[in-house]
Amino acid sequence: MANPHSDHPAHLQHHFVSSEQQFDAAKMGMWLFLVTEILLFSGMFVAYIVYRTWHPEVFAKSAELLNPFLGGLNTIVLLASSFTVALGIHYAQKDNKKGLVINLVLTFLFALTFLVVKYFEYTAKFEHGVFPGAAFDPHGVSHGVDYATYNIPYARQFFSIYFVMTGIHGFHVLVGMGLFTWITIRALKGEFSSAYYTPVENCGLYWHLVDIIWIFLFPLLYLI
Amino acid sequence: MSHAEHHVSSIKLLAIIFGGLVFLTVTTVLTAQLDLGSFNVPLAMTIAIAKASLVVVIFMGLKWDNKVNSVIFGLGLLFVAVFISFTLFDTLYRGDLTNTTKGTIQDQVLMEEGLQSREPAPSTLQPDHTP
Amino acid sequence: MSESASGTINYLSHDKSIKSWLLTLDHKRIGIMYLIAVSLAFLAGGILALLVRIELMAPGETIMSADAYNQAFTLHAVLMIFTFIIPAVPAVMGNFVLPLQIGAKDVAFPRLNLASFYIYVLGALIALGALLVGRVDGGWTFYTPYSTSVGDGILFVTTGVFVMGFSSILTGLNFIVTVHKMRAPGLTWNRLPLFIWSIYATAIVQVLATPVIGITMLLLFLEKFLHIGIFDPALGGDPVLFQHFFWFYSHPAVYIMILPAFGIVSDLMGTFSRHQVSGYKFVALSSVAIAFLGFLVWGHHMFVSGQSATSSVVFSLITYLIGIPTGVKVINWVSTMYKGSVQLKTPMLYAIAFLFTFSIGGFTGIMLGVLAIDIHLHDTYFVVAHFHYVMMGGNVIAALGGLHYWWPKMTGKMFNEKLGKIAAGLVFFGFNLTFFPQFIMGAQGMPRRYYDYLPEFQGYHLLSTYGSWVLGAGLFLILGYLIASLVNGKKAGLNPWGALTLEWTHTTTPPHPHNFLETPIVTRGAYDFHLAKDLFASGEEVSEVVTSTTH
Repeated sequence: MANPHSDHPAHLQHHFVSSEQQFDAAKMGMWLFLVTEILLFSGMFVAYIVYRTWHPEVFAKSAELLNPFLGGLNTIVLLASSFTVALGIHYAQKDNKKGLVINLVLTFLFALTFLVVKYFEYTAKFEHGVFPGAAFDPHGVSHGVDYATYNIPYARQFFSIYFVMTGIHGFHVLVGMGLFTWITIRALKGEFSSAYYTPVENCGLYWHLVDIIWIFLFPLLYLI
Repeated sequence: MSHAEHHVSSIKLLAIIFGGLVFLTVTTVLTAQLDLGSFNVPLAMTIAIAKASLVVVIFMGLKWDNKVNSVIFGLGLLFVAVFISFTLFDTLYRGDLTNTTKGTIQDQVLMEEGLQSREPAPSTLQPDHTP
Repeated sequence: MSESASGTINYLSHDKSIKSWLLTLDHKRIGIMYLIAVSLAFLAGGILALLVRIELMAPGETIMSADAYNQAFTLHAVLMIFTFIIPAVPAVMGNFVLPLQIGAKDVAFPRLNLASFYIYVLGALIALGALLVGRVDGGWTFYTPYSTSVGDGILFVTTGVFVMGFSSILTGLNFIVTVHKMRAPGLTWNRLPLFIWSIYATAIVQVLATPVIGITMLLLFLEKFLHIGIFDPALGGDPVLFQHFFWFYSHPAVYIMILPAFGIVSDLMGTFSRHQVSGYKFVALSSVAIAFLGFLVWGHHMFVSGQSATSSVVFSLITYLIGIPTGVKVINWVSTMYKGSVQLKTPMLYAIAFLFTFSIGGFTGIMLGVLAIDIHLHDTYFVVAHFHYVMMGGNVIAALGGLHYWWPKMTGKMFNEKLGKIAAGLVFFGFNLTFFPQFIMGAQGMPRRYYDYLPEFQGYHLLSTYGSWVLGAGLFLILGYLIASLVNGKKAGLNPWGALTLEWTHTTTPPHPHNFLETPIVTRGAYDFHLAKDLFASGEEVSEVVTSTTH
């Protein structure tokens, strides 16, 4: 309006002085957002810790119903996706559009894999009446495990926490897949370069945080 | 433009970190199968913190980033610690006054029911009661 | 008073279409939209308050049933807290003033800013939906198990609070980044206006605390509809844990309400005393200290909840600590007035009223932090009086001061100063008449939230109700003359108050759409009146001089 800055790059919004200021601001905003995510999850961690300290034996027993190898597999899948998204940023910084797109697509596929594994885990639980909340009623036998013996006081709390934590985390994975679809399309249009890759960087930061949350959920719920 | 100042992590470094993360994951799954007594929880948590630190410092690039972002992240962790520890001040010491009990309301109800069931049932008042 | 063609372009006049307002990315227009929305919320909550007060004029049923009364006070609280007082100062004055005071063209993320406004409106409408389905009557704290066992209205309120939380987070996030990255050249942290410091501290609280109310509302929702057994004692859950979750947000939220008020008062004290705010650095950092300590005291709402004595002692001790940074502020404000030459304009009257009412609110807060006293006073009108002295006597009175202070900048019009002073008097008198008797009856044992009461309390209740009418009259008078000023108000000069912050010294009134025609370069602190002799050519007549020489 007042001063049309014809010499400025297309991505630079008028209220910033330089691309650098815009990049720093966006990244700082993203870190603040990540902190809000951490505090959102902190509520679930508090619930977990409180109930675990109150009923350690119930938590230990209930955790037996979770499959640590599927959980471990999913951990590695998410770590791999973190790796590919970091590679994607590397290629964006090197102006390598092909490398960027390939890695974004790989990240998306890893996220999908994670959710597919999660789907099988959930349905295996639901089949035996392991639901969050009032419907919690473990029954039936599979792989030599008698689910009915897990119907003990406070097992409901463990599985409520399990489903809510992994559910919120799964929702974040879903959001991440949406984000990666969006930036893959933008990357294909050639919108990103070493001069401007802020959205890639920020989606990457978000995705690493989703990974970190899982790094803690996995041992807490499946292993110990 | 000063974008050249942005740190570019080499593929080699990223791959090494990824390898380390996978190694730690396998380690934590395997050690969880062992019975280390009270060491299982601290070990699993130590490994998780190590993995998370690798992701934050290298993958998320906090090592090369503006210091203010590290402060923000640290503040977030600090307040998570506050939330956990101050809640535990209550839940770990619940009932430390002599005139309150430690159990939840449900525990108290269960206890009361237990006491009642041990009393001889006055069959005239509770005809349906089966001991 | 003729202005050149370029001088007439301002953020209000450059495009008057409705669309340009609804889709605006201009922080000033978003601030004005927030002002309208928040004022409507205040009006709705205020009418409910008046109804509650009328009901309490006599024991037993006066104008409404006990059921209606319970819903009225609950909605009064929900509306006032979540839709009015939390967004009020940060989203209205923060939005309008913050970029101007730091010499930026806009906030860092204008689109997020607009989004946060619509998220707020959406959340407020959802919460209001509770009116339609009714039966939200357990107070604004939603304590389990009552909240999870009665009525479906809680569905709307929790969802509304959850959604409004996002709005609050986005506003806070935006402001933190803006203050860090967008300050004008020369505007160092030590030169920032104290309003910025306190909005900054507020924003930290918003970002760190609000997510926890999100997860709390989500868990409450799941508790009610899936019975997950985390908070419901009948299922093995722990209702006290809910209170921890709730107050981890809601206590810091108290500082979301009061910190911006501190900022306004600091600005007013400096400007209208024509003096550097005493202990500038201490006043600035005490905001940050309060924000930090505010996270460590939530358990003082739970002294009688059955939490452990260990935690009660810890929370009580830290509660006293909050008195230190707060005392630092009060002492420095008084000292600023003592050293300066006080101009008793309408905004300054509010700042002085604030000193009085907030000090009472603060001191009674320390009293309630004492374990033994709290057992006696818990859930009585003493608590009601205490938090109204902080929320209304603190936040609202300061917000009114800020509104009068920035009104000329927002609208380009001066309000009627004489009516302004009368209204300030009415508000101050009405406020104290409403809430001071509540301290007395609370100390004598009148429980809060009760529909009926013993006849011996009626005298206090009557005084309180009469006070609420005076207070209401004062507020409606303000509404009246502010609206009248838009029609026939005197044109405001560039710097009618003689302030030194950038929104008064470096931009037009009302501001240009892009705030500044050229980026300001800052060479002095926000209250360095001794370095600004050029602005004060003829002493007390400063505002007139500045106004007349620039037109």
